[in-house]
Amino acid sequence: MSAAGGGEHFDLAVIGSGPAGQKAAVQGAKAGRRVAVVERDAAVGGACVRRGTIPSKALREAAVRRVDRRFWPGATDGIAPEDVEIGRLMRQLDRVVDAHSLYMQRQLDRNEVVRLHGKARFASPHELIVRARDGSERRLRADVIVIATGSRPRAPSHVAIDHENVLDSDSILSLTYLPRSLTVLGGGVIASEYASVLAKLGVAVTMVDESDRPLRFLDREVTERFLADFEASGGRYLGSRRAHRVSFDGVGTVHAELTDGDTLASDKLLVALGRVANVEGLDLAAAGLALNERGVIPVDASCRTIQPHIYAAGDVIGPPALAATSMEQGRRAVCHAFGIPPGHPPELSPIGIYTIPEIASVGIDQSEAVRRHGGALVGRARFDEVARGQISGATSGFLKLVADARGERLLGAHVVGEGATELIHVAQMALVAHLPVDAFIENIFNFPTFAEAYRVAALDIAGRRARRDEPDLDAAVERAPARVGVRGCGTALGEP
Amino acid sequence: MSTPTAEAPGLAPACEPATVVRPSGPADGSEAATGIRTTLAERLQSGDVDLPQLPEAAAEVLAATQDVDADARRLVALLDRDPALASHLLRVANAPAYAPRSAIVSLRQAVTHLGVRTVGELALAASLRSGLVVDARHAGDLRAIWAHAAASGGFAREAARLLRAPVEAAFLCGLLHTIGKPVVLRASLELAKEAGVALPPDDLRALVDELHAPAGRLLATSWKLPAAVVAAIATCAAYQRTDEPEPMITALAARLATFLLGPGLEADGLLDHPVFADLNLYPEDVAGLVAKADAVRGLADACAG
Repeated sequence: MSAAGGGEHFDLAVIGSGPAGQKAAVQGAKAGRRVAVVERDAAVGGACVRRGTIPSKALREAAVRRVDRRFWPGATDGIAPEDVEIGRLMRQLDRVVDAHSLYMQRQLDRNEVVRLHGKARFASPHELIVRARDGSERRLRADVIVIATGSRPRAPSHVAIDHENVLDSDSILSLTYLPRSLTVLGGGVIASEYASVLAKLGVAVTMVDESDRPLRFLDREVTERFLADFEASGGRYLGSRRAHRVSFDGVGTVHAELTDGDTLASDKLLVALGRVANVEGLDLAAAGLALNERGVIPVDASCRTIQPHIYAAGDVIGPPALAATSMEQGRRAVCHAFGIPPGHPPELSPIGIYTIPEIASVGIDQSEAVRRHGGALVGRARFDEVARGQISGATSGFLKLVADARGERLLGAHVVGEGATELIHVAQMALVAHLPVDAFIENIFNFPTFAEAYRVAALDIAGRRARRDEPDLDAAVERAPARVGVRGCGTALGEP
Repeated sequence: MSTPTAEAPGLAPACEPATVVRPSGPADGSEAATGIRTTLAERLQSGDVDLPQLPEAAAEVLAATQDVDADARRLVALLDRDPALASHLLRVANAPAYAPRSAIVSLRQAVTHLGVRTVGELALAASLRSGLVVDARHAGDLRAIWAHAAASGGFAREAARLLRAPVEAAFLCGLLHTIGKPVVLRASLELAKEAGVALPPDDLRALVDELHAPAGRLLATSWKLPAAVVAAIATCAAYQRTDEPEPMITALAARLATFLLGPGLEADGLLDHPVFADLNLYPEDVAGLVAKADAVRGLADACAG
């Protein structure tokens, strides 16, 4: 596994310093290897820090704090977009982003990872050329290379994104004022997050997507709750259609012509129709690599490409493209490369979606439980039944536990509402430890907390279990697609 | 982030240090220039400067375009009241920079073709130009100032697109970041006239370059220009002092404008400015901005013509 030839030698070279790259580099350094990270931006962190995970979540937090006046019911009535100082919210984001970037940079420095500022491309399977901003080039060799170059918003050919009137999920963060109205093309995670946050801030948001409901990969009850809250904020979801033409009238309105003949008019339009891998300029062919039909780098369960010493991790290998999963992919890739036991592969990973209300999920949903196990018992706890929900004024959410048909084995948990992305970890650890549903009944939870919802939901299952002749086998439940990215690197070689 | 360096000799500085108001003149300045510099600097520091009023048309156009409810009818109605402004706008709208598919013959057509915001910005530039006049002998200097301002605005907008920064604010910041220059130009000429001396052209330019930022800041505050514009005027030359994106983008745009209207964007030295590194611009990024040169030049010609 050693690299011969010219250029400075490293045991490990990582291209990209986002969640996957950073964890890969730190893992390599902690294993005593000489590690270099190549980053095209001046600061470390990648799109996750600058334009993705961190800023969008920080915006959400700022929006919730700014607008949510739950202690004074009715106080949010009549909030107009112009009342919200979006510029101030965005500046708050900058502070959060800078702080996180600095933290990541210090972590790399502390582990003596060599940071190289520039754009990398392959000269051969073991050689990289790093072109600095001033055009100068530096050649390096590495025994192991990890590609973690991330992704960027997809720009569909039929929509001209000018970053002024028609925005993508990067440029929407440059808003200096809130538009009165916004059309969002897309029904996925990014579309739903921005749509719900901006609707909460008073913008008249219309989502348009081919899917009949947003976040279709989630439990139906969860998305129905999300949709109800979104509509209560003034949002609108137009499913089963798409925009085939988008144009700015030159005056102040963006028009989106839909496939059903309708035309939507709004001040701004956000295109959130997926992301594409950042692979241009890498000269993958020089490394003997190629993209698959989905435009991502194919890897095996250890994130290894067809070149045994080259790995890829994070968005660049496709779904689930979640920061947390990317970090683990980066770490496991380097463990595999250097023969370090990575620990048991994660059986499952949680999904956290920073919409308003927050959504989180782990394990399988009801329809999948029916499909796999022939039936399911489901227990629910509404947040308005939990004291903490009443105290906080966050009463619209719920927690749903999915158990096998006997109501004993926990299969999944789904939460929508305040604190969902934190709350889900309780279920995750219960699933990892193979705890029975009754563990939530037999153990004591702090009171008052949202975690009490676990106990309430488990008691609901216990009650249904007692009425075994009335199992909650909802025959009408639609089958959900298989969960993505719960094991290792998610995308297996040759998998579509 | 490094400290901006001085521009190449013989070129108008992209941005000037915002807070430098020195009572003493440069060693190579003429005696007359030194005296005028001292007087003007003191007046700027104390705010005792005769600032021009924001031209009424400019004020209304600015208000109209800053309004979230801005619409074409209101803008057209405003412009209809000022025939000189309207005819200037029609000329600009027909300039190659805006590539009209057919001749633009009405203000409404111009607004539809260019957009409310662009027409508003052009109208603002034109009305400011007409409101900030100087002695006819210095009309050329003023034209050069406006051309540079317009080109800065054009490049700023493109840079903002590239950098995913606020596009709408960028043009205005670029356009107005040297709004203090006509003020200093006029004030310097008046002081020279009072003193009965003639200012050598180089000294006059040096005065304008040195003192325009504090003058612009006073003017922007007096005219209640948007905060982003005030920040661009005040800190464009020392953008490290602020977290706002506009001053840095304005500094970049001004640099590009200086070379576009001077030695050319292919000339050596363009990249010898820390703003390119501070914005992490790679050669291909700069090339993308340079590719907009024709459109930006057209805008500058139209605005300054």
